[in-house]
Amino acid sequence: MTQEATIDIARLRRQQPRFSGLESGHRACLGCGEALAARLVTESAGPDVIYANATGCLEVFTTAWPESAWRVGWLHSLFENAAAIASGMEAAMKSQGKPTKVIAMGGDGGTFDIGFQALSGMLERGHNVLYVCFDNEAYMNTGVQRSSSTPHSAATTTSPSGKVSMGKRHLKKDIVTIVAAHHIPYAATASVAYPSDIRKKVRRAMAIDGPTFLHIHSPCPLGWGHEGDISIEVARLAVQTGLFPVIELERGGLAGSMPIRHVRPVTDYLKLQNRFRHLFADNDRAREELEHLQALADHNIEFYGLRGSQPDALDTEGADTVRRGGLRWA
Amino acid sequence: MLKALEGSQALAQAVGLCRPQVIAAYPITPQTHIVENLSKLVADGQIDCELVSVESEFSAASVVLGAVAAGSRAYTASSSQGILLMSEVLYNIAGLRIPLVLTCANRAVSGPLSIWNDQQDSMAVRDAGWIQLYCADNQEAIDTTIQAYRIAEQCDLPVMVCVDGFTLTHTLEVIDMPDQAQVDAYLPPFDFGRKLDPTNPLSIGTLVSPEFFTEARQAHHEAVMNSLQTIVTAADEWGQTSGRQSGALLNVSGPAEARIGILTLGSIAGTLEAAGEEFPEAPATRIIKLRTFRPFPAVAIREACSGLSDLVVLERALSPGSGGIVGTEVRAALSGLPEAPRVHNFSVGLGGRDVPLDIFPRLHQALRIGSGKDFAILDLEPDKLSADAC
Amino acid sequence: MGVKMTRGAYALPGTSLEYKTGTWRIQRPVHRHAPAPCHHACPAGEDAQQYLALVEDEHYREAWENLVAANPLPAVTGRVCHHPCETACNRGQYDQPIAIHNVERFLGDRALTEGWRYPVNPAPEQAPAVAVVGSGPAGCSAAYHLTRLGYRAHLYEALPMAGGLLQSALPPYRLPRDILNAELERLLATGIEFLPGKRLGRDFSLTELQSDYPAVFLAPGTQRSRQWDSGGATPRDLHVGLDLLKQWVAVGTIHTWSSAAIVGGGNTAIDLARILKHAGVSEVHVVTHHSLPGPGKAPTDVMPAIAREISQALEEGVTIHEHRGVQRLVLRGERVVGLELVHMKGLPDGNSGLRRTTFEGTETLLHVDQVIPAIGQVVDPAGLEMLLDHKPFLTADYNGRVAEHPDLFTGGDTRGDHGTVSEAIGDGRRAAEAIACLLQQLDAPATPSEQPISLSQLNLNYYEHAPRPEAPVLPVSERTGSAEVEGGLERQQVQAEGHRCLSCGNCLSCDNCWTLCPDVAVLKSVAEAADGSHYVFDYGYCKGCGLCARECPSGYIIMQAEQ
Repeated sequence: MTQEATIDIARLRRQQPRFSGLESGHRACLGCGEALAARLVTESAGPDVIYANATGCLEVFTTAWPESAWRVGWLHSLFENAAAIASGMEAAMKSQGKPTKVIAMGGDGGTFDIGFQALSGMLERGHNVLYVCFDNEAYMNTGVQRSSSTPHSAATTTSPSGKVSMGKRHLKKDIVTIVAAHHIPYAATASVAYPSDIRKKVRRAMAIDGPTFLHIHSPCPLGWGHEGDISIEVARLAVQTGLFPVIELERGGLAGSMPIRHVRPVTDYLKLQNRFRHLFADNDRAREELEHLQALADHNIEFYGLRGSQPDALDTEGADTVRRGGLRWA
Repeated sequence: MLKALEGSQALAQAVGLCRPQVIAAYPITPQTHIVENLSKLVADGQIDCELVSVESEFSAASVVLGAVAAGSRAYTASSSQGILLMSEVLYNIAGLRIPLVLTCANRAVSGPLSIWNDQQDSMAVRDAGWIQLYCADNQEAIDTTIQAYRIAEQCDLPVMVCVDGFTLTHTLEVIDMPDQAQVDAYLPPFDFGRKLDPTNPLSIGTLVSPEFFTEARQAHHEAVMNSLQTIVTAADEWGQTSGRQSGALLNVSGPAEARIGILTLGSIAGTLEAAGEEFPEAPATRIIKLRTFRPFPAVAIREACSGLSDLVVLERALSPGSGGIVGTEVRAALSGLPEAPRVHNFSVGLGGRDVPLDIFPRLHQALRIGSGKDFAILDLEPDKLSADAC
Repeated sequence: MGVKMTRGAYALPGTSLEYKTGTWRIQRPVHRHAPAPCHHACPAGEDAQQYLALVEDEHYREAWENLVAANPLPAVTGRVCHHPCETACNRGQYDQPIAIHNVERFLGDRALTEGWRYPVNPAPEQAPAVAVVGSGPAGCSAAYHLTRLGYRAHLYEALPMAGGLLQSALPPYRLPRDILNAELERLLATGIEFLPGKRLGRDFSLTELQSDYPAVFLAPGTQRSRQWDSGGATPRDLHVGLDLLKQWVAVGTIHTWSSAAIVGGGNTAIDLARILKHAGVSEVHVVTHHSLPGPGKAPTDVMPAIAREISQALEEGVTIHEHRGVQRLVLRGERVVGLELVHMKGLPDGNSGLRRTTFEGTETLLHVDQVIPAIGQVVDPAGLEMLLDHKPFLTADYNGRVAEHPDLFTGGDTRGDHGTVSEAIGDGRRAAEAIACLLQQLDAPATPSEQPISLSQLNLNYYEHAPRPEAPVLPVSERTGSAEVEGGLERQQVQAEGHRCLSCGNCLSCDNCWTLCPDVAVLKSVAEAADGSHYVFDYGYCKGCGLCARECPSGYIIMQAEQ
């Protein structure tokens, strides 16, 4: 079936029943999880926000001068200072008596590594800023180099697998626990596979006057080695295996989690991505790595109590249930 | 009104008079007293602003960048290691055309470690695209700080006010502190044309391709060049308000018939002026106190040097492997003049070495002897060098 | 282009719209309405998915109007249909199929209590008239659809009342008479000219019809019972199953032997067996060479009777002897005292048909007082001798066209291969549409070839398990004969079934595509999406990543290569 050729698409675009913070025409790859996450965050946060964005994929694919895909006040400074820029913006808003919220956005590189100090400072000082980390688990913009967020045994260009190495040796840095150890009012993880959950968490954070942190798992088809059309499927499996726990921490203590109704084996998730292809080789080393990853997933499930005892409308099967007529309360 | 104040204290009060809305504070010797004094003024409610005690200088510069982008007047100060740590941000601030005032309490740069005064720190960032103004005494420092906000906000450029660490910051001086009404009349409330605002959402800090980057750089370069005029006007107008001239681009003193000139920046100028009286037998000497280093006032320097046979450029920094920094730039500005003076370039007072009054006759002696070299450290004590130190 | 560098290289909001990322595409998402399996399987052609959507939103009248665009008798089929839609329902592979049968019943009943009229106007006076012979479900459906399509229908019926076997042979405990008559009355009130008491062959001939009308739909049904070969002698008082059934329906009483055996595996056999049991016959046997329904059974082997009727019969104490035939009758004089049963199955005959085959050495004796054949009916040749030419049925194509007779159409039992009520209703509609094409000199509709959407084309992550409601059934002890055995569902249960529908192959406006597009290339529009969805693709920016197609729960979006 073909669409009516006479629809005034430009006018329709302006009449969408949601706030448009990120516009079309950006240059993200097909199926980019980060673009989707940023779109969802800006939508839920609404118009009365200004943004500080660290260097990375997001700012590069949205602001090729003279074009900008942003419809919100937005500033990109450097790689390591999104949290500090946001602190300054927040201080400015306070000094002007304006209620405009400040949101800082950074990738895993700009949050876990080079921007770690500025983030810690911002949290410690108690700025009323929501920091959102879009985690695609490597320095993607510069061509897929490992960061401290890269999962154990994933292959990147600086942690490739080869004759003597099975990918990244170190474990994924547990950023949300470190952030929560600053005793901030709210820190949470989320995944692009569960957009309603992201919206809920953004609104929760926006309503808090104080530092909040949202860590969103965002697949990168190019970097993880899969087609763009399965980005959501991959993200969903990361959650359903327990490798990416979806949790909420308030003042350093566990306050909520998304229970996993049917725990999936980690191989279901890993086999979809080329960055883990070496783990499926027929040798003992590869098998041992798979066991290790399964053990990490099992540990997460046990540690955060993620195994659902009975079906729940907000568990990994219920949280994305759709209904006819769409989002009435998301 | 006249008060005896430590330099840092005076600066803090002057900053307060400018009504900053956000101050980022990170301590580093010898700037520390500035931020401490500011903290006390804020704590006593004498400055109504958000004081952000950041966790490094990188964040200090970033905080004020963010604050100004969001439309609030902001301030921070640093020295030495801190200036270098924040240097990436300094380039960013200038390239994004963010109006800001930063005090650099000049201090030597590690390694080796030194907490004492020289100008290597501000010289290291001379290409960041900031306006750089050098103050000879604390009165100039506070007057320059106030003018700096006016210049910054009219040009959409950041201004670095350079003040010799310890030598000025920790020295007591009688300061004529303006009152709030004077400053309010001179400095209108900050209204940043590109401020981040949900009702006019701009994107600042974009990626510029080779197709346009050259023009962006040209725009920045021209803006800094054009600020020469604003610097002069700001000084004139402050002169009318306060009754004090702090020299705009540069200040020339000494006998009109002098054929020898000394060009310098910062507090050394005061030493040289006093030395002129202390050593009346020395040849007549024109003292050129360079206040504006960026933009580089080549025309004003050439005019100030007219009629000189010899010009000494005396600076508190050097570029290892090259020589003097200011001297090299001055030499370039004077080259091609039909009767350019011979330029003699010296560094003194590196790492806080005291520059006493007798530097004056020693300079003249050095001129007479002539070294044949483009550059030398005037107050070097060669006996202190070990055989394999170099 | 004329763009000028700005101070500090700032950019204006939303200017990325200048860059049409649609040029990156090698494939594009399109909306594709694939038939839901319930629609594909319904012999009457109902699109249950469509009306379930309306039911979910509690638009019951619109749902009923959607339903009666195909089937004018939902209160009937909602009781007597064998619901192949539920067998085909994709939800059956996820948890349990939608109770479409009960939803249809609910809508049919509500229409009757609310007095809803069909959205059908009487045909204009000057419209051509078409003859319909027989007012069973096929004939009624044909007359209704002809009216709907703007033709006048003349409905000839040999008996005084309309309804065919629905009226004369379906027990009231399956189809209450007040329901049936209300449906028929409403149908006949659409402007159909009903001509009862007119029998083909006796009161008018086929030739007269063909000269008076531009087209004729023949649905006289199968009024003649098949000859039963009982292996030799026949009893004096042999009663044919269908006649007994009709008699009981008409009069309400039936002869009660102490034991009886019914030969046959269709609805007539089962209905009769249950009636005998209700009436007090202590031993009721059904003998059939088919098998009882169950998982793994070949469809050609299974008894043609409706499965739930069979299980209710078993509940009520009827004994069913599957894979058996009657070798011979055991008579004392002219009375039946027993049957010699033998194992019997239908085996492939080498011509893609089945031959009833007995297996020597498996004979047993069954002692009964009476044997009643219910082995099927054929068309009574009266009035149709030339057309039938000694064959048991009229053969016809998909549209019901009788070969070599462009103005003759048939459907229902008459055509032999469609023995259920819903098939008959579908036949009436298809023939009416073919007749309309004939009269407008257009080609008849082609046999549809679109495959229904399968479970694997849906994205089940977005649905939630939920149980299917059970409609109440009378306990065996209360099944006295005329009270309806099966009940209906409550309104909330019906609405919940609408919600449980997966909306196979059709948009349910869940907002997934709109929510998940990273490029803001799916726009929501209630008014402007012309294809049945509420979404428009902005191909100026769509990069063809395929996320929308992957994550569409109902399989409504597919990716097509760019030309």
